[in-house]
Amino acid sequence: MLQNRVKELRARYGFSQGELGERVGVTRQTIAFIEKGEFSPSVTLALKLAREFEVKVDELFWLEGEKPS
Amino acid sequence: MKKDFRVQYPLWQMAFIILFGFIAISITGASSEMIHNDIEFSYSLEFPALESILLFITLAMTFILLIIFIMKITNHNKRHPQQKLSFWQIKPIEYLEEDEGMIYITRRAAQKVYTFFVWALPFVAMIYLLFNLSRLWIVIGILFLAFMQYLIFYIEVRKYVSKDEN
Repeated sequence: MLQNRVKELRARYGFSQGELGERVGVTRQTIAFIEKGEFSPSVTLALKLAREFEVKVDELFWLEGEKPS
Repeated sequence: MKKDFRVQYPLWQMAFIILFGFIAISITGASSEMIHNDIEFSYSLEFPALESILLFITLAMTFILLIIFIMKITNHNKRHPQQKLSFWQIKPIEYLEEDEGMIYITRRAAQKVYTFFVWALPFVAMIYLLFNLSRLWIVIGILFLAFMQYLIFYIEVRKYVSKDEN
């Protein structure tokens, strides 16, 4: 299962789920699914999210049991 | 999102299916007569009192629901001009496809419906084969499958979209 720091970084940047969704071109619900780990985003969306938070993709997403970079 | 017409659409279909069931009960309770020969072609239906009342009430309710349904579609199209819905579109109205997350939800729901049909269709076919059922029960069986299809889809989509923003 894919783990992520989307919620943490979103809070740090002060975005709502809706605002972040707008910035990366998805709905608020999709951001919520990603944060809850219910949905693994595509590489394209993962790259867009990482760019928005100015981090590398593997700092934003990592596999369960592995430490984030 | 919960109030999105596409999310609520299966509920409308379920209501129409129930009404269609009542129409089927009324019509199968009627006695019919068809005359078809060289000089005449006629078809008549005669309803007993109870069935005719049931049919009248059901048709009135269907008409009212249909008007509300059309108003809902019109409202949705006004509010979401980029996601216009039509009665006549081939793709089911209930599909959510505006981004990959919504496509994922639709896929999950459709998979559950498919799994239901994998089991339900042979089961219903076997029931029809083993029992000598009337026309009404065959129609009710088909309506039951359709009703379950929308119910499963709705429950699965609702499970995802009902979670509120943190």
